[in-house]
Amino acid sequence: MGARALSLSYRNRELVYLAVVGVLTGIGFASVYIARQSEVSWGSLGYAIFFFALYVAAHLVARYTVPQADPYLLPMAGLLAAVGVTEIYRLGASDAFKQGLWIVIGVALFALALLRLRRDYRVLEQLKYVFGVSAIVLLFLPRVPGLGTTVNGARLWVHVGSFQFQPGEFSKIFLIVFLAGYLREKREALAQARPKDVGPLLVIWGACMLVLASSNDLGSGLLYFGIFLAMLYVATGRLSFVVVGMVLFVVGGGVAYEKISHVHERVTIWLHPWTTDKVFCPQTGGPALRQDCQSYQLVKSLYSIANGGFGGAGLGKGTFTTTDGRQLIPFVNSDFIYSALAQELGLVGAAALLLVFMLFVARGMKVALQADDGFSKLLAAGLTFGFALQTFIIVGGVLRIIPLTGITLPFVSYGGSSVVANFLLLAGLLLVSNRANSSS
Amino acid sequence: MLASAQVETTLLVLKLAFLVLLYLFIWRIVRSAARDLRLPQESMILAPQQAAAAGLLAQPAGRELGRLVVLDSPAVDGGTVYTLDAHALTMGRGSNNDVPLPTDEYASTRHARFEPRRDGIWIEDIGSTNGTFVNGIRLTRERKLAPGDVVRIGETDLRFEP
Repeated sequence: MGARALSLSYRNRELVYLAVVGVLTGIGFASVYIARQSEVSWGSLGYAIFFFALYVAAHLVARYTVPQADPYLLPMAGLLAAVGVTEIYRLGASDAFKQGLWIVIGVALFALALLRLRRDYRVLEQLKYVFGVSAIVLLFLPRVPGLGTTVNGARLWVHVGSFQFQPGEFSKIFLIVFLAGYLREKREALAQARPKDVGPLLVIWGACMLVLASSNDLGSGLLYFGIFLAMLYVATGRLSFVVVGMVLFVVGGGVAYEKISHVHERVTIWLHPWTTDKVFCPQTGGPALRQDCQSYQLVKSLYSIANGGFGGAGLGKGTFTTTDGRQLIPFVNSDFIYSALAQELGLVGAAALLLVFMLFVARGMKVALQADDGFSKLLAAGLTFGFALQTFIIVGGVLRIIPLTGITLPFVSYGGSSVVANFLLLAGLLLVSNRANSSS
Repeated sequence: MLASAQVETTLLVLKLAFLVLLYLFIWRIVRSAARDLRLPQESMILAPQQAAAAGLLAQPAGRELGRLVVLDSPAVDGGTVYTLDAHALTMGRGSNNDVPLPTDEYASTRHARFEPRRDGIWIEDIGSTNGTFVNGIRLTRERKLAPGDVVRIGETDLRFEP
């Protein structure tokens, strides 16, 4: 490492990378805009400038509150959010406007969290039970009559007036804070697996799993289960817990496959998306090829990725509608945004995006390694692992590596709650990183 | 649809610029991350014994990092010295502690833990009933010990000396 690398402070380095993200946003928007209008113009430059200004604002707050924090996390999150909103804009301008608004709210809450917790975020540890109970309450909210609504067979949404959000996204972060506090306190006792200490853990976790199972939210169920196991492993260092957890998961998954039709259907779609003979189609009640019925969405998404090829169609030039203007892939801008991006950016671009996700995870784990106290380590490791697993679940589902379960791609997918929750996650990582770097 | 050659060229240039810049961005971050990997890393939450076994602690296990002198105790003789090395040391009434205090009625079975870190010895209350005190102040979280600090566990007083 030369003197040149050290000459830039963390925050200055962050600003340089954010400028690169700004240029990337500009190119992306320009490309979409030009492809849409079929003429060369700079009409879209305003959007890129707007996002760059927003990120600079976030950067200034970070400069004031967490001067020693990791310089790459914010630019990477910014890049993912910008690529996401560019693709959402390409798929439909009105959704992009809403998404932009949510990013503004996300950055505002990110700033608020940094300002409130800049002195010592470890006060959160004292509130661990509040977070644990809130996590369950939030998961329950959509099931309250009059508040919750069902979308695609899963009851995940809460409506208050015209305002709607998905509490599960926040519940995830609350659960991680609870686990970090609880496991820090009990990790030595837990390593001996005494029932008294394992009890409260199983209660909170069991409650989460029950709510998720009953609301058909399989993706979140898998995510919570994974976060729980990973944090238990980080806290105790006992591989046997992970093995037992995996065995339980396989047994539970097997039972669910046999007993719950929803799960059975997902696995069938995953293993056999195409049929040559007509099979029973639950949506219409009549016979149909499976690719025209249950696995329609997945198959169209695979075609979309294949259509991208190596270099991609180019931003704004992919095919997402039929000749008569119908949308080819339902929910393309939330659950399936990866297949849209893979078509327009190609293998090269999609791989780059996955690399950014991986780097974000690597930096997050590094923050966990650097942290001094158990709570900070667990918090950073939990937040990072949650982010990694969520990315794997949705990208793996879209690519048919695992059964598809609807969940958002962090920072990229269309969805207000998801964007806001992920910016809070970022704030958490920066706070831990700042503390770790200032004390050493 | 009539797409002019100019539009096509512009789009191609933008696409290439986007990908090149994206990979440049990634490459720069990878390079800095690779640099970090070469620096010695601390373990995640490994027990200090494990960390020492893996050679992750800077100090050899045997080196003395400080000592605890018993000032007054119903369980052990005054003046007894416990040395702190790279291993964590637990104290409490139970016999499975590194320093058992069997006849101290006010000490909990597992009471407090002394842990060596990069910057010194830290003390942490591990769920005692009556609390652990440093210079008369009850611990609410782990704390770094300074030379001369007096630690109270149950009815046992110990002085920390570097």
